Amino acid sequence: MAVLTSDYRRELEIRRYPLAVYVLVPLLALVLQAWLPRLPVVGRFAYFDLPLLVTVYFALGRRNPIHGTLLGAVLGIGQDGLTQGAIGIWGIANTICGFLAASIGIRVVVENHTIRMMLTFGFTLLAGGIAFFVTRILLGLSYDWNWLGEILKAAGNAVIGLGLYPLLDRTQARD
Amino acid sequence: MESFFSRYRNLVVLTLALLVQVLGLALQVRKADAGVSATAQANVTSHDAKPVRLIRLWAASAVTPFERAIHWGTQGAADVWAGYLDLRHTREQNAELQKTIDRLRLEQATLLEDARQGQRLQWLLKFRESYIYQTVPAQVIGSSGSIQSRVVWLDKGKDAGLQPDMAVITPDGIVGKVRTVFDRTAQVLLINDETSGAGVVLETTRVRGILRGNASGQPQVVNLLADNRIQAGEKVLTAGGDQIFPRGLAVGTVEKVIRDTERGSYIDVVLKPAANLDHLDEVLVITQLGEQLSPEQQADVDASEALKGGEVAAAEAERKRAAAEMEERLPSLADPNAPKPAEGSAKPGDAPVAPPVPKPLPAKHADRFTPSGGSQSDAVTERPDAPKAVVATPAKTAGATKAVVPASKAVAGGKPGAKTKPGGVK
Repeated sequence: MAVLTSDYRRELEIRRYPLAVYVLVPLLALVLQAWLPRLPVVGRFAYFDLPLLVTVYFALGRRNPIHGTLLGAVLGIGQDGLTQGAIGIWGIANTICGFLAASIGIRVVVENHTIRMMLTFGFTLLAGGIAFFVTRILLGLSYDWNWLGEILKAAGNAVIGLGLYPLLDRTQARD
Repeated sequence: MESFFSRYRNLVVLTLALLVQVLGLALQVRKADAGVSATAQANVTSHDAKPVRLIRLWAASAVTPFERAIHWGTQGAADVWAGYLDLRHTREQNAELQKTIDRLRLEQATLLEDARQGQRLQWLLKFRESYIYQTVPAQVIGSSGSIQSRVVWLDKGKDAGLQPDMAVITPDGIVGKVRTVFDRTAQVLLINDETSGAGVVLETTRVRGILRGNASGQPQVVNLLADNRIQAGEKVLTAGGDQIFPRGLAVGTVEKVIRDTERGSYIDVVLKPAANLDHLDEVLVITQLGEQLSPEQQADVDASEALKGGEVAAAEAERKRAAAEMEERLPSLADPNAPKPAEGSAKPGDAPVAPPVPKPLPAKHADRFTPSGGSQSDAVTERPDAPKAVVATPAKTAGATKAVVPASKAVAGGKPGAKTKPGGVK
């Protein structure tokens, strides 16, 4: 039966979004990531990485590794552009996470919220590890690796994703 | 070949994306390594290469307009609330603030004398003092969004006269320095970032050092020799030697002293920053330093001096009035039974007259020591025009022993103002 082949199944579950969503949502993630930590209350608990969250979401939904790779690279470089450090640290981290998320999305059913939460948690930890590797090993610069901070950030991303992903699901294009 | 790329298309794209970024990183680090020290590295990275600068420009151009709009909206709402709705106790606060201003003006005028003396001494010693001559207020509209990078974005840029390496401060203390400037935005590197650097001095112990941030986002004075005098609570000021921050601005207070783990004889002094670096709203960018006070500062000083002059005159009048009242109430030291001096005998220009010296009682048995007896009377001669000062002159006579007549004796033998004559003493 044609419906059981992998190609047909993948074609069926690929999500498409309007162009405005592809442009505005990543941009909004960058803006909020830069603006929210300034708020008095939120700033003290700014354990989140919205650009990575958006990268993982679109990569999982689109199931296209090239798309995930490029989106992660653009958002990561955008994050680096707002810092004073070298450009490419978060770019590399988000690039790898986007590729892996899309690759996993091909093989795993990602409509389940729990799976998406766990994937988001794992990818956030992975991105922190890659940034640590690039900064500390490749560049030889100091990097404050804080296990508690990284776990809180991963948990924060997972919780935000739990609310954000269903909202973004509503923006996908309907045939 | 074509089948290889089509088969491994995803991996090829991933490899290319990673390769480009790694090469970009390598080029950036190579440029940064051109500097020798860490400070030099920070300075080098502050002037990005053109492609890097372009990426930062694109990122800033994409993000800061939205941040500006959000900031404008929230600030406007907050202003409406604070300026029109929430005005309880405003009059009382205004009166209290006015009192504080008056008190501070007096304190400023008092301290001004010391400051001017210090300026004169510095001028004599050929020191060059820099004053904050011109500042540009700016709003903080965003951050880097990463705890590894402690920078903020301002809503002013090249259009407002901002340039790289300008100092950024608040009334509480220093904040950082301008790192990258675009037309309408600027990036500020905070003093608690690991790549920042500023020359500081501890206020009491006068220990100088370099301030930079640690991995936890706390500013610290690094690479100091162990010194027991450094205690928590000591204030830290800018030293003025870094050509960015003027001397004497508040940096923070010493929070704790930690030993350098790699070099045991060195310590790091962790500070509590004077400015609230976690919640910055409005900052001042020092766009110009001068050797004199700015017109606004000079006007403020003049107002303080005028206020102090009025206060001093009022205090002096009050003091005189109190003294007059006290003089009336206290009992007089003058003898009420004493004869009044003849009116008109004393002229305003006359010298004060010495009081009369009481004469001793006449001796019952006069001898040669008796002041009025014998030849002593010949030795003491009254001279109406004699000066008040009494001079004891040694008398010299032929074949006589040298003798000195004490002034007291001379005075006792006659009237004040008499002096001995040579040859008058036997």
